[in-house]
Amino acid sequence: MVESKHPWKAWIYLAPAIVLLLIFTVWPIINTVRMAFLEGYSSMSAVGGMQYNFGFGNFKQVLQYKDFLSCLTNTMLLCVLTVPISTILALLIAVCLNAIRPLQRLLQTIFFLPYVTNSIAIGMVFAAMFNMVGSAFGSENEIVITAGIINNVIEFFGGTAVNWINAGSTYWANITVMVVYIVWNALPFKILILLGGLQSINKQYYDAAKVDGTSRRRVFTKITVPLLSPMLAYVVITGFIGGFKEYSSIVGIFGDDMGPTGDPRRLNTMVGFIYDALANKQGRASAAALILFGIIFVVTMINLYVSKKKTHY
Amino acid sequence: MKVVLQNLTKVFPGRNKKVNEEVVAVNDFTFTIPDGKLIGLLGPSGCGKSTTLYMISGLQKPTSGKIFFGDDDVTELSAESRGVGLVFQNYALYPHMTVRQNILFPLQNLRGKDKLNKNEMLERAQKAAALVQIDNLMDRKPSELSGGQQQRVAIARALVKMPSVLLLDEPLSNLDARLRLQTREEIRRIQKETGITTIFVTHDQEEAMSISDMIVVMKLGLVQQIGRPQDVYDDPVNLFVAKFLGTPPINVFDGRVENGRLYIGEDEVMKVKGVEDQPVTVGIRPEGFTPDSKGRLVCGLNGVEIMGRDVSVVSTHPASLNPVIRSIINADNKIDTSAETVKYSLKPHKVFLFNKETETRIYFEVK
Amino acid sequence: MSESTMKVMQEKDLRKVTSSQKAVKIAVQFMLYAFLILMAIIIIFPFYWMLISSVKSLSEYRLSVPTLFPREILFSNYVEAFNQANLGRLFLNTLYVGLVSTLLSLVITVLSAFAFARLEFKGKNTLFALLLATMMIPGELFTITNYATVNAFGWMDSFTVLIVPFLVSVFYIYLLRQNFMQIPNELYLAAKVDGTSDLKYLWKVMIPLALPTLISITILKMMGAWNSYVWPRLVANKEEYRLITNGLRNAFTESTGDVNIPVQMAAVAIVSLPLFLVFIFLRKYIMKGVSRSGIKG
Repeated sequence: MVESKHPWKAWIYLAPAIVLLLIFTVWPIINTVRMAFLEGYSSMSAVGGMQYNFGFGNFKQVLQYKDFLSCLTNTMLLCVLTVPISTILALLIAVCLNAIRPLQRLLQTIFFLPYVTNSIAIGMVFAAMFNMVGSAFGSENEIVITAGIINNVIEFFGGTAVNWINAGSTYWANITVMVVYIVWNALPFKILILLGGLQSINKQYYDAAKVDGTSRRRVFTKITVPLLSPMLAYVVITGFIGGFKEYSSIVGIFGDDMGPTGDPRRLNTMVGFIYDALANKQGRASAAALILFGIIFVVTMINLYVSKKKTHY
Repeated sequence: MKVVLQNLTKVFPGRNKKVNEEVVAVNDFTFTIPDGKLIGLLGPSGCGKSTTLYMISGLQKPTSGKIFFGDDDVTELSAESRGVGLVFQNYALYPHMTVRQNILFPLQNLRGKDKLNKNEMLERAQKAAALVQIDNLMDRKPSELSGGQQQRVAIARALVKMPSVLLLDEPLSNLDARLRLQTREEIRRIQKETGITTIFVTHDQEEAMSISDMIVVMKLGLVQQIGRPQDVYDDPVNLFVAKFLGTPPINVFDGRVENGRLYIGEDEVMKVKGVEDQPVTVGIRPEGFTPDSKGRLVCGLNGVEIMGRDVSVVSTHPASLNPVIRSIINADNKIDTSAETVKYSLKPHKVFLFNKETETRIYFEVK
Repeated sequence: MSESTMKVMQEKDLRKVTSSQKAVKIAVQFMLYAFLILMAIIIIFPFYWMLISSVKSLSEYRLSVPTLFPREILFSNYVEAFNQANLGRLFLNTLYVGLVSTLLSLVITVLSAFAFARLEFKGKNTLFALLLATMMIPGELFTITNYATVNAFGWMDSFTVLIVPFLVSVFYIYLLRQNFMQIPNELYLAAKVDGTSDLKYLWKVMIPLALPTLISITILKMMGAWNSYVWPRLVANKEEYRLITNGLRNAFTESTGDVNIPVQMAAVAIVSLPLFLVFIFLRKYIMKGVSRSGIKG
């Protein structure tokens, strides 16, 4: 490193970044904390000269607020369902991909495809696939005009069509669709990371195990998984962080209403809650954002702690 | 258990698919490894020694030829069913397991009638660890061990299942010089104590010579010579083997035979009975020179290195194929270091003649 | 296996062992492929469904037994989608925002990364650590205040509001700084001795050497503009400034339930196409960028 004759020069290089960061990153952090602790803060009435008490009012209100609790439940539920499913599936696919020669690159490319998609746009495709549209829906002489391909498949195998996302659909049907879509969306990244991890494991460990007559199962549980544990931890942590910020995949399928027709906001998430309160209930939004940050922070710390205990080297 | 290699051949397809160049890693290797011996496979890199080892282990399949353990043909048997112990060059210790877990690992794989209970396993692991003297390190992770200790763990892991054959791939290459000496004695001791047929691969001739019962010298997939280390050293079949064995290496000269006399350059150095007149390559071991005022080989003296019991004399000769000639002579022979030249007579059994074209040995009668 | 057991083992047994080993191996390989191909079909099916639906007539789409291969291929859906969603305008808007923000962002990122990697100044490490710390905070937390800020600046419904707030990415600065640090410092010292200016050195040496990272950043940034939804909807939802994802979602949100799905799928296909092209031609850079970041577009 060179001791520059003009130390101010570095600051010129950094100036554009610093100015923008001050306005759009540092100030928001300060301001969000400030607003979160000003009870009932709203910028519009603040302009009118209104004064606010300092306290935990916003947090209390948010936590007692029914809508927020349903957002929290939805978010948690999606997280708890999608992270393990997608991780295990991605691990299986990565291990299988790593064990084959012909077609490996082609399959690898296919599995990466969902990554480069627009989650809103492909959400609309999923919506079409799970769609079921009828006239006089719910009445006795209802006629199904369009049944999405998923229902066609179900009926082909002798099942009865399910109302997945349309008016009158059940909460669990909605959640199922969201889990399918989120897992589909989350797989490519996880497969990429895990496959990269697998390929970096020294082949000699497998040769050594083979000479010692180790069964496939034991190789997988005693060698592959432990040696892959740093990657698994990474994938799980980023999965949880992403899961807690779930929003646009729901918009993709259900639209801005965040729920089936007739029951808007049913599938709203924490991020959705923040956006809803953003324009004129900033106190509430800020408190919710800090709670979200707190949850992500705690979950990440727990994950790091657990993975540190589980990964030994 | 004796191990029989019968016309063992391994051909690797060329890397470039368009040009169909195949690489013959091992070419028609036939050899019976006697029971309970320590065998060194020796050669420069790319000579096929590691490939041979991996074929014996079952990790690689021979292109043709057969492998027998005892009387059983194991050629088609995969690695897991052969019951060999293999120590990898970089040990391949599982980094997430302790030393104990590493050594237990092969035992936990046993199924059916071979299955052991927990106490038996621990006992065997302890015994294997004691054999290689690491029983006080059982709870460490490989990353907390030195290279030599890791090596021992790897050997213990290979021995714990009581393998029929123990295979070592460049066992000493990752150790520093001092540890290398110590470990090779250790390997010799362990092999003697267990009596397991052991095959190890090395590119270091000194290492192979010092501990092997027999050595196999290989070059470009072809076996050059098999025999007891001293026999191979004293009686190499070709120039390659002669050059490959021995430190300092053999001195090589351009020479010719005329009327039963050997000439090196213009110096007529000795009688070689029974050899037809022809140009030859002459190899002389460093210990084959005797300073002699009546000596026929006249060399320019460069310097003398005192090594205690012996001295190493560095000299030059116009017919030498190496830049300098190194000879080892007894320190009792006084050399005049201020002289310009040194004269040598030669010990006939330390002089080898090779055909100039084929580099195979030309034998002559030593009276 | 001890020697005696080996001897007891007849040659027949050995042959049995080897042939059963082979059979297991083949069976396992077969299962691997079966599983992978099944998963691949599931992964790829939505794309396939999007494509075939986009060329079907509405009546064919509504058949109670759907056709897996369209009977007739109707490109009119694409024309209709293009007009109905005003995709041309949205496309140009997005391209403009994407290009301008990528360009400015690259300049800012390169300058900051250079300062952090090569220049010496007081508080450098503290500042860098502080920047990294902000990466832990979810972006939604910033949005609340930024919404008020851009409002106060009078930037609502403009291209400025879509470009400026996201010009600095701490992550990209970090990525590029790491890359710059790998370039041996001797090169910089040599350039100094030769009297090369910092900027010239940056332009002639650092940037060419860090090109792969810069390309990765460019792709991710462009994809970001293409896929951004929440912020544009909040602050620039007027037709003249609307970005493509937002426009796509808006054009086909109808509560009547009688959406012309083939047209909708055609629109989705049009929006997805550039992403696929980028993926096909720049896959290497995307995968590299992704495996280091874990951040979606």
